[in-house]
Amino acid sequence: MPSAPEAALPADAVRDLWVIEPRQYGVVERIRELWHYRYLWWYFASLSVEGMYRRTKLGWLWLIFRVSAPVGLNSLVFGGLLGVESNGPPYFLFFVCGSATWILFERSLLIVTRSLERNRKLITKVYFPRLILPMSAVAPGLLYLSILLITMIGANIYFRYHNGVWYIRLRPELLVSAAAVVMALVFTISVGLWTSVLQARYRDMRQGIRYFMPFWMYFTPVIYPVTTVPEQWRWLLSFNPMAGIVEAFKWGTLGIGHVTVVGLITSFAMLMLTLVGGIWFFNREEAASIDKLG
Amino acid sequence: MKSLIVEGLGKRYRVPTPQATNPTETWRDRLRNFFVIPLARDLMGGRDIWALKDMSFEVERGTVLGVIGSNGAGKTTLLKILAKVIQPTEGRVMGHGRVVSLLELGAGFDDEASARENVFMNAAINGIPRSVALERMHDIIEFAEMEEFVDTPVQFYSSGMYLRLAFSVAINMEPSILLADEILAVGDMAFQERCLQRVRELARDKGLTVLFVSHDMEAVSRICDRVMWVKNGALHRIGDPEDVVTEYQNATWEMLTATEKPDEKGSSHAGRYGEILEVKLLSSDGREIGSPPRSEDIYVRIRFRTYRAKSRARCAFDLFSKGVLVLRSAQPEMVSVGPDQIYEAIARIPANLLSETNYTISVGVTLIRGEGEEHALVVNKALAFMVYREDAGDPSATLHRTGLIDPRLEWSMEMKPYAIRA
Repeated sequence: MPSAPEAALPADAVRDLWVIEPRQYGVVERIRELWHYRYLWWYFASLSVEGMYRRTKLGWLWLIFRVSAPVGLNSLVFGGLLGVESNGPPYFLFFVCGSATWILFERSLLIVTRSLERNRKLITKVYFPRLILPMSAVAPGLLYLSILLITMIGANIYFRYHNGVWYIRLRPELLVSAAAVVMALVFTISVGLWTSVLQARYRDMRQGIRYFMPFWMYFTPVIYPVTTVPEQWRWLLSFNPMAGIVEAFKWGTLGIGHVTVVGLITSFAMLMLTLVGGIWFFNREEAASIDKLG
Repeated sequence: MKSLIVEGLGKRYRVPTPQATNPTETWRDRLRNFFVIPLARDLMGGRDIWALKDMSFEVERGTVLGVIGSNGAGKTTLLKILAKVIQPTEGRVMGHGRVVSLLELGAGFDDEASARENVFMNAAINGIPRSVALERMHDIIEFAEMEEFVDTPVQFYSSGMYLRLAFSVAINMEPSILLADEILAVGDMAFQERCLQRVRELARDKGLTVLFVSHDMEAVSRICDRVMWVKNGALHRIGDPEDVVTEYQNATWEMLTATEKPDEKGSSHAGRYGEILEVKLLSSDGREIGSPPRSEDIYVRIRFRTYRAKSRARCAFDLFSKGVLVLRSAQPEMVSVGPDQIYEAIARIPANLLSETNYTISVGVTLIRGEGEEHALVVNKALAFMVYREDAGDPSATLHRTGLIDPRLEWSMEMKPYAIRA
């Protein structure tokens, strides 16, 4: 005989009442839950940052090496040896600026993808909203971003004295850069919602992403300006949300870049599609994945 | 007042259908199996298995409910659903208050983090802010008796320390409902006792509801107010601890020793550290036999399993005939046994020792943990059999004329050169 919970319990207990049912939880419930577990955010965020250099002697210095080495090397090769166009500012500044949101995306995505699998033991033993895992796994990426931003400001100051030009725009357009960072974050998590669930089930996911990432980078105007892409092919780039984000960041910060309204709208639409789909997929597959993990 | 209401709860798992391995497979088959089958199998699904089916029960506030049943019966699945770790397929659960779970060892600890960090994490998981966790830190560490190891990563803890910490953290999270799965499996006796006492105390004074899964029937009947027996994913019986536990033990024993009916009085085939699974009589070629021939070696095989604790074991048996203890034999030395394993001890009774008569064998396994905490598993009259002589027609004809044993003694006879006095 199914009885209403209110009938079985006294009124004061109704407050703490919970029900477990075989159903998916609504968005409002999810958000309330994320708030209830707010103390976990910081924990998982700091955990994934520490995970980057755990058991190393050099410690957090590795975080700096891991971004500075490829950025330095790439700008030397592409800017110095190959002489890639930068449309104005020194190539190093151009490249750091382009890398900022890209590295935030690229590095975070790998960590986000593994977030469920890595905390397998925890997931199979205690409950907390799984959504916290992929969302807090962007913390190391944000650290990389801040390292790149500091590098960029440093380079800007250097070039100010060396070339006498101040490249970073201290104007309202800088807000576009901030928006680009937020979009990059949202996009990372959106893609991560798919990949983390799939990674929990098929370990091929991580290998695939590692393999696929360089291609994606060449499909994104990080090392080259969009203007070097032939006019008739540029529309292709708008299907890549990262292209729009990287360009928007460059435009907001250095005033270079090719930002079109149509391109931005397409990028934004792609982003929303990934996000909504990702939330739906994560919500639906979460339970099933944990059955498989356990 | 109800603390937990479970209605028609069920959990279905989809198990991929195992593919037959074909020894004559070609490279093409192999390629297909490697690339196509795993994906296809995932998409097509497989067999359905109900780990839990149509389970309904209610638990009053402040009750310690024991959950017993054989491995794979669905006890852990039930607890995992209550802990929200897995979602049920059907039915629903209603309850109130904070649920804290101790699922298996060290529920949700991060191995690389220290005890202190793990306390913070568990607090966060239970929605308790860091400042409050800090206030309770002292109590938690004190109860777990690990003041010196607060900053050691928990991966270096012994399983006992791990459990102490886990238990201490759990009860300090102010749970309304505590899910305890096999918490007595490790740790020293003294701490286990303190755990049980604390659980009882909290249930009595704070109205804590406890679901206590254990194989330790002694502990279950001692601390539980009610006991639930889960069998094949369904609730088999729920009620008074004594009744359910006794019935459960009888049933388990009956199932394992299909034919012989052992004497239940004074037997305790299952205990805190292990249980005797079966006792068999074997012939020298390993067959199970009911009545062995006198002219061949007879083997007594004791199969027992250990629970989650390392211990040392010694098997022994008593051989009775006509109500008299004929002989008692024990393994000469204690043997170390690992946790959660099945062991077989075999004793050889040499040929031509027993006489043609009826015997019974009672079996005992002594398990010793750490510093001499002994636990004896005993099965009285585990075997009853009759020894016969192959060359002697109807054995029953000679029964009344035999002694309790009939060993083949060394006899000799020779002629001595003494004069016979007439």
